[in-house]
Amino acid sequence: MITHARRFWPAFCMCIVWCGTNVRADEFPNDIARVSAGLQLLFEFPQNENGKLEDSARVGRPIWLTIESPDAVEHQPGQIELTRESILRSGEVTPRLLSAFKWTNEITIEAWVQPASAEQSGPARIFTLSRNGSQRNFTLGQDGDKYDVRLRTSGTSDNGIPSLSSKKGTAKTELTHIVYTRNRTGQATLFIDGKKNREKSIDGDFANWDDNHRFALGNEHSKDRPWLGTVHLIALYNRALADGEIGQNFRSGPNGKTELDSASAAAPKTDNEVLFEDKIARLFSQHCLECHDPSNRKGDLDLSVREAAFAGGESGPSIVPGNPADSLLVELIDSDDMPKDRDPLSDDQKELLREWISAGANWTISPIDPVVYAHDSGNHQTWVRRLTVPEYIATVQATVGVDISEEARHYLPHDLRADGFRNTAYNLNVDFKHVEAYARLAEIIVDRMDIPQFTKRFTKRLKFTDDEMGEFLSKMGKWVLRGPLNESEVIDYRGISTVVAGSGGDYNEAISRIIQAMLQSPRFIYRIENQIGDGSVWPVGGYELANRLSYILWGASPDLDLMDAVEQGGLYSREQIEEQVERMLKDPRIEDRSVQFIDQWLNLPSLKNLQPNPARFPNWGPELADDMQAETRAFFKEIVWHQERPLSDLLNAQVTFVTPRLAEHYRIPLDDANEGAADLDTLRRIDVSSLPSRGGLLTQGSVLTVGGDDASTVTRGLFVMHDLLRGVVNDPPPCVDTTPIPTKPGVTQRTVAEMRISNQACGGCHSRFEPLSFGLEKFDGLGTFKTVDEHGNVLREDGEILFPGTAQPVAFETSAELMDLLAESRRVHESITWKVVQFSLGRPVTAHDVPIIDKIHAEAERNGGTYKSLLRAIVLSDLVLKTRTEPLRSELIK
Amino acid sequence: MSRKTFSRRALLTNGLKGVGAVTVGLPLLEEMMLTTAVGATVADVPVRAFNVFFGLGIPAPIQTEGFEGVLEPLQSLSDKLLIMQNVDQVRCDQSGINAHFDGASGAFTAEPPNGEAKSGGPSIDQLVRKAHYPDGMPAGMVPTLCAGTFFRRSRVSRYVHSYNEDGTVAATMQERPRDLFERVFGTIAVSGDENDAKERRLKRSVLDAVVGQYQFYTGQRSPLGKASRARVADHLDRIREFEQRAFEMERPPNTPEIPPRSIVAHGGQADPGGEGIDITLDELTTEWRLMADLYALAIQMDRVRFGAITFLAAGERVRLTGDYEYAGRKVYTFNDSAELSASGSAGCSHEWWHKFNPKKKNEQLRAHAHMKMREVAYFLHRLDETTEANGRSILENSLITISTESGDGRHNDVKRELSGVFHAISSANGRFKTGQIMDVGKEGIDVYNTMLTAMNSSNRLGPAERDSVAVDDIRA
Repeated sequence: MITHARRFWPAFCMCIVWCGTNVRADEFPNDIARVSAGLQLLFEFPQNENGKLEDSARVGRPIWLTIESPDAVEHQPGQIELTRESILRSGEVTPRLLSAFKWTNEITIEAWVQPASAEQSGPARIFTLSRNGSQRNFTLGQDGDKYDVRLRTSGTSDNGIPSLSSKKGTAKTELTHIVYTRNRTGQATLFIDGKKNREKSIDGDFANWDDNHRFALGNEHSKDRPWLGTVHLIALYNRALADGEIGQNFRSGPNGKTELDSASAAAPKTDNEVLFEDKIARLFSQHCLECHDPSNRKGDLDLSVREAAFAGGESGPSIVPGNPADSLLVELIDSDDMPKDRDPLSDDQKELLREWISAGANWTISPIDPVVYAHDSGNHQTWVRRLTVPEYIATVQATVGVDISEEARHYLPHDLRADGFRNTAYNLNVDFKHVEAYARLAEIIVDRMDIPQFTKRFTKRLKFTDDEMGEFLSKMGKWVLRGPLNESEVIDYRGISTVVAGSGGDYNEAISRIIQAMLQSPRFIYRIENQIGDGSVWPVGGYELANRLSYILWGASPDLDLMDAVEQGGLYSREQIEEQVERMLKDPRIEDRSVQFIDQWLNLPSLKNLQPNPARFPNWGPELADDMQAETRAFFKEIVWHQERPLSDLLNAQVTFVTPRLAEHYRIPLDDANEGAADLDTLRRIDVSSLPSRGGLLTQGSVLTVGGDDASTVTRGLFVMHDLLRGVVNDPPPCVDTTPIPTKPGVTQRTVAEMRISNQACGGCHSRFEPLSFGLEKFDGLGTFKTVDEHGNVLREDGEILFPGTAQPVAFETSAELMDLLAESRRVHESITWKVVQFSLGRPVTAHDVPIIDKIHAEAERNGGTYKSLLRAIVLSDLVLKTRTEPLRSELIK
Repeated sequence: MSRKTFSRRALLTNGLKGVGAVTVGLPLLEEMMLTTAVGATVADVPVRAFNVFFGLGIPAPIQTEGFEGVLEPLQSLSDKLLIMQNVDQVRCDQSGINAHFDGASGAFTAEPPNGEAKSGGPSIDQLVRKAHYPDGMPAGMVPTLCAGTFFRRSRVSRYVHSYNEDGTVAATMQERPRDLFERVFGTIAVSGDENDAKERRLKRSVLDAVVGQYQFYTGQRSPLGKASRARVADHLDRIREFEQRAFEMERPPNTPEIPPRSIVAHGGQADPGGEGIDITLDELTTEWRLMADLYALAIQMDRVRFGAITFLAAGERVRLTGDYEYAGRKVYTFNDSAELSASGSAGCSHEWWHKFNPKKKNEQLRAHAHMKMREVAYFLHRLDETTEANGRSILENSLITISTESGDGRHNDVKRELSGVFHAISSANGRFKTGQIMDVGKEGIDVYNTMLTAMNSSNRLGPAERDSVAVDDIRA
């Protein structure tokens, strides 16, 4: 984030003095930043461009106001004075604003104005989002010596009546700060010069806001309600600013600086740059880099980095910017000579390539990393997140204090793994069994609750009547459903209470049934966020952020502190968010959440499913599977929480945890191995620095078993490649026989792997990942360290590792050396960051995320590279603080 | 709006291919056949008592206009009804509460409310039931049936009008035609177990709210993007499947077709915080008439003998639109919100009652009240179309009590508000006079207790120490 002053604001304008007024622009300190969270529209009037004024909120597409009578308007940087009847208005409808406000049902209208007289009426329109004199979404006006705000809700007329007016005498010919807020509960408040002036309840929501209303300043669209005076600033927020924030904006003054986001403040990308990032890099990644990456360099051509790609290979320069006709790459692709032995590119893809080169072949990503595009089709889709089973259990516990873990695990179907995790949103689907389970669990949960006690938290007025029940439902619903209820939701739940009452039921029965319904609501079962906007990136709302923080850090719903922080306006500035994050990082739940991460990343629960050949592994049993899972969990907690070491130490830390049973399986002697059978299940922390074969995740049974009974070099190699190096390989061609070749005397797994590597059809890919497993050759399929295999073949542990994006492999002599290489590798460090990011977001990483992940990684590394520092960097990044919206109505967005 | 009428005739014609088969699904059909077929004596006609409530009342001055005024739709039934004017319910007043609540609670009970969800005493129908069926209703019969088409529901007595002796509601309110159908003709209902029915209704209401939430997040106002909306829609499909398996009964052979799904608002959406809903006359009457048909069918088929039916709640808040025609003439074009120049609660027909002024024409109030009488008459006609063993119709043989919450819609005078509350009763198999409009000039409690006496009930409404005044003028 940077502090962004008015971009075109000449310094001499900072000291404007309004003689004869009680508020002077130069009286305001220039070091107080204006509130930016929730800002949807901002007019600061720095300058006009051909009679147009730009909204500088930097949220989505800016809104422009056209000055229709320039002679009636005097514009100086930082202010606009309407000296005669005029109107400034937007030429198009504003779907972004509508969507933003309809979702939150909250608004703040802020203005710094100086009326020309205290006798203007109508009300005279200072600014308005309306159609004509009787239909509006909102209007800030002046009615004589009062300011008046009309806000349309489902509880008012189309004209926004009843309105809220300030006290008499507040509208004077002086510079005045006006703020109108209206929150979800309907509380509307007018502030004049930072002080509360009037308040009123404006019921309803914004669902009936008209999509076709337009913004106007200084008059109504019908041009019969002119307002004269000077406007210094107009701002709209899609939330009700807290009192303190209003004071902050007042103290900041009419020339206050607004903190805007640095990313959005950066120079916009050119069309050619966007084309490269969205299409061309993906095309190279998916169709070219298999052969033309730094390691393969077929034809001596590397298309992963700009310089190498432009330089070309054996046949000369491949890309000539501005000239596709002379670009060898285009020629070979047009003729379908490339991609070699693969499907040719489509005509559209060829045309895109020509278009990109014609327009200058801008290259903004270097190197192109295939993994970025591996899970990204380029079609942006945002999936609502269903709570996973552990999240559901934790949320029930946090919300109503009931432990439902046993029943939830019994009734709810397992969450299935996709893209390496069980919390991948697109895969968290719902079948009939879920619906049955949620209904049944809701009954069980409510049966276990102390309903009167729970009810007391929200009300002491136990009445069925509209006002009391409505207020109670709003309070309880906000807690149970993790955010304020809209009017429709209150009404739905109110329906239950009336049915219960109509059936002769009492208050507690009504509340029980309502809670049952809430526990089955999409607001409970899913993490509902606003996903609708104009297709650009928006800041998330306060409650959405609270939920993101709590589910990422705790895997549970926000606690009271977090909810109160949102309610009180205490989760908006970076400092406030940081303060909450620091508090949350100290909560013990964060440790359990991190164990879910390691469980899912390494798929530890699948150990229970192992069924090794009993003839080869007669000592295997479910206890060993449990021991292996326990070892990795304990090791992870030791590194991450007890020692708070960098995450890269997970690869080579010289400590582990074993039961005597597992120690025997590993052939590790324990000092207390003879203590007796009773201790077989107890983990012991052991120092493995004297055991060269052990140390780090890859030397633990939980990971080594991925290779199956035969300790497959393919599977182990792919694990290292995918999960630690973020490498990408294509699937084997359909005709290839993938039946494992058995070992025999004179033929080890390495021998078989080398045969595949040397095979021309297979070697291109297998050479990339099978050698990655060579350092693990001495571990058998269940992780026991051996020097010879079952045929008496001598096993090795030396090899070479080729890090993706590099050309030269690095040699290692022992397994321990391989672990050290991995632990020191920047690529591995980044990969762990990617994994934690993916788990945090509940979706695979996309190309759009990469620049932000790079920043997250750098920030985490700067702070020690620990799990905590990584989480902190993640939750304070734009991946969490912002959301990419989908267009509300694409036909309305020009 | 086209609608298929549910009638006993249609049921018997379509359903009775063989009595033996019918008894499997609906033992009631056998009873019905016997009742119809046997030339029975008067004693064979069952005792029945139903309360018919309509919301907002008819101001006392307008009642005096008789069939020339808003009572016109009752004229065709005039010889089968006793219309009572000047019935005083002032004793039902509860301080600080307007008549929408306490007056509605007093209808059929003559008692002020006792808390938000209880009346101050039993309703007429339940005392008659107790007198005639002290050991419970015959097996397979629904003990009490409460149903209605209503939207205002902030307090129970606005819409429930059958109460047990302890003041609790006598039966779960059926607010959808399908709910009523299921209660009466569903397989669960055959058990007659009111607790089963209640539990089922409550679970249904929970599921209704859940469905409403999923519909919101898949609808136009959903904040979710395309993929997310599809996911939630998928979830909603599964809920529908769950709903079907859990609640939608198997249709036994030879039973009527399950009525169509209701299209008007129900549950919480029917009463959005007291702000009222927009509804067309066609939507309103289609829903109500289907409900009335089914209720009447339940009586005709002797599945129910006691209960209450509500056409619009006390203090109802709807913004009605549409042309209202009666007897081939256009009575009025409803457009409450526009005529009141207001949205929300201030734009509801309710306001016409607040604006009542005896010195003015009160056109809108008259039109609304006239329409209500038309719809009450619709139900009564359905009861009048079946002739029983004694040669009289069900309407004539039953005690049908029709009433409302107040005799004046203005809240600033309690006495005026609760005086002159409209009442009408049927003859109850010759027990009461009919064919006249009577200026009773008595308290409702005395009228009700007189009715109970005539119905052979030894129980009385109101405090025990109170001296009852018999209103013998109403007795035949």
